[in-house]
Amino acid sequence: MPAGRPGPAAQSARRPPPLLPLLLLCVLGAPRAGSGAHTAVISPQDPTLLIGSSLQATCSVHGDPSGATAEGLYWTLNGRRLAPELSRVLNASTLALALANLNGSRQQSGDNLVCHARDGSILAGSCLYVGLPPEKPFNISCWSKNMKDLTCRWTPGAHGETFLHTNYSLKYKLRWYGQDNTCEEYHTVGPHSCHIPKDLALFTPYEIWVEATNRLGSARSDVLTLDILDVVTTDPPPDVHVSRVGGLEDQLSVRWVSPPALKDFLFQAKYQIRYRVEDSVDWKVVDDVSNQTSCRLAGLKPGTVYFVQVRCNPFGIYGSKKAGIWSEWSHPTAASTPRSERPGPGGGACEPRGGEPSSGPVRRELKQFLGWLKKHAYCSNLSFRLYDQWRAWMQKSHKTRNQDEGILPSGRRGTTREFQTLSPGCEISRFILTGGCDPKHQPYCPGAGGVIPAIPGLVGPPPQGHPLQHPQDTETVEQLQTKGSLLWEVQQTPGQSATWWSVTPASGQSRG
Amino acid sequence: MDLRAGDSWGMLACLCAVLWHLPAVPALNRTGDPGPGPSIQKTYDLTRYLEHQLRSLAGTYLNYLGPPFNEPDFNPPRLGAETLPRATVNLDVWRSLNDKLRLTQNYEAYSHLLCYLRGLDRQAATAELRRSLAHFCTSLQGLLGSIAGVMAALGYPLPQPLPGAEPTRAPGPAHGDFLQKMDDFWLLKELQTWLWRSAKDFNRLKKKTQPPPAAVTLHLEAHGF
Repeated sequence: MPAGRPGPAAQSARRPPPLLPLLLLCVLGAPRAGSGAHTAVISPQDPTLLIGSSLQATCSVHGDPSGATAEGLYWTLNGRRLAPELSRVLNASTLALALANLNGSRQQSGDNLVCHARDGSILAGSCLYVGLPPEKPFNISCWSKNMKDLTCRWTPGAHGETFLHTNYSLKYKLRWYGQDNTCEEYHTVGPHSCHIPKDLALFTPYEIWVEATNRLGSARSDVLTLDILDVVTTDPPPDVHVSRVGGLEDQLSVRWVSPPALKDFLFQAKYQIRYRVEDSVDWKVVDDVSNQTSCRLAGLKPGTVYFVQVRCNPFGIYGSKKAGIWSEWSHPTAASTPRSERPGPGGGACEPRGGEPSSGPVRRELKQFLGWLKKHAYCSNLSFRLYDQWRAWMQKSHKTRNQDEGILPSGRRGTTREFQTLSPGCEISRFILTGGCDPKHQPYCPGAGGVIPAIPGLVGPPPQGHPLQHPQDTETVEQLQTKGSLLWEVQQTPGQSATWWSVTPASGQSRG
Repeated sequence: MDLRAGDSWGMLACLCAVLWHLPAVPALNRTGDPGPGPSIQKTYDLTRYLEHQLRSLAGTYLNYLGPPFNEPDFNPPRLGAETLPRATVNLDVWRSLNDKLRLTQNYEAYSHLLCYLRGLDRQAATAELRRSLAHFCTSLQGLLGSIAGVMAALGYPLPQPLPGAEPTRAPGPAHGDFLQKMDDFWLLKELQTWLWRSAKDFNRLKKKTQPPPAAVTLHLEAHGF
């Protein structure tokens, strides 16, 4: 009996057997097939073929000569009987088969070509591997969670459909140090991914590529060169909490914790928040969250459930100016804004034109501002009464205002408008129109579409076209009015660093 | 292809020797313990669970092997699987098994089967299939432990590997891929048969260790049930 020919490379692990055990096996291994069945051999055994090629195969029966005949034998491929015209009897004990234009294998374990006896019993089988050689993998992307490991992902060429099992191997080496390494932990983040857990070096670039191999050949991707420090990311921020802001019906407060990895490494983080309404798919993104771990979303609809996510980007790694890679978004956290107290349309609470700011949101907003001032700026004397005085003052015409030496003398003239309170140590020194959001002192983050009703009186409209000075930002009034955000500065003591409070007027709403 | 006695089993038999050295489960603390009943019940439940798990695993695996292996009435020659422990047994013989023999046969069978399962040379299978196989092996290991627990509770020694029973036979002539597929088929079939049988084995054991509910029966009879 012919010994089966050595299988493909994948099975080269089987060593050729020593002679004595082989003889032993020959004795022990007398065919013990079912009653009356003969044995047979299909040739070729387990061939590998290109799609579209042809195959000539034979089924040779041996064993009991009186019963063993090629008559009555037939072929099946994957359980389906093959047409008789594809077979022909070569001699008394051999049936031949000719297949042309083969399709790709139905399953990666190989097509099952079987030679049957007349009664249907299986005499022999052979697995056909029909497919294509792999194409070049591409689109390799890598990231490191802690500068000690590296995870990479790639896309297989030709969408991976080779009909044969294709083995992917991620290789890497330091650019100037020559030795190839192979990644061992596969399928960590999807079918075409690999994780290198340790022994990585910094400051020298790595060359990374993917090799795809199957029975028909191999292909290698382009080499990706990267520096570990350039592809750092973190886990998303844990413990994201979203809560209401007192009774404010259009705001939610988001708090999170910086990812623990940041403590270990010398980088800062910048964050991004995105939020959406429960039954919408459009996310709004808040971008300038910088280094804080809390932010207030404003301009939301009352009585609505919002989903919020936060993600993190480490930057300034070891002093570099480059940003890393954004983390995944945190798990969505939900919270709902309080229901609107006033009947009528929700969303974008509008102030009645030129009316008293005694309506809910503005008053609440102001109350909050004053409360905040009291807490952070020791402006204990500020009160609604004072506010009303300002408002009254604001509603005077420009001319009279500038000439007024009354309750609120304006100090320095010129390009900024300033007010003073009567409370020593607490000076609302200037309000300045600016487009920015000071990261350190900003409890509000003007989000896309954030709408907070303006507080008339405190932020009255400055003259048109009047340029304003600001230590950080200089813009003309027209520009800022279209951008629509206002800041005012509170100096606790003259000359000390200021804290800023911002308000964004509703678009189209009349101010003051 | 040569339909001789499968040599792949021989190659794996040496690996089976390792499995025999499973750590013996320490005997249950006899003082005030509820007896072997709960662990017999647990073993019974495990066989049912494994049977369920195997159904899904076998379905996926046979689809991977491709037709005709996944056809319902597929019945290839059973050549390579001679060394597989057979669940099939004569009814009278089965009924007359004493507890120790019953448990021993179960234990030995699953030790073998687990060994062969672990040796399934399916490098080419999908990662998901390999994971399912690994998961099933772990569950099977749990069943073995459970049977060992019952044996210990009843005071029976765990079966030791027979000396010379697992010779390290060298791998024979190249075992064709189709033959390998048939071996895999029979392994899964035998596993299935054993799990069916074990459920009945442990059910029988369960009844033997329970007090007969005679009073209840009388009560029911009085009500004409």
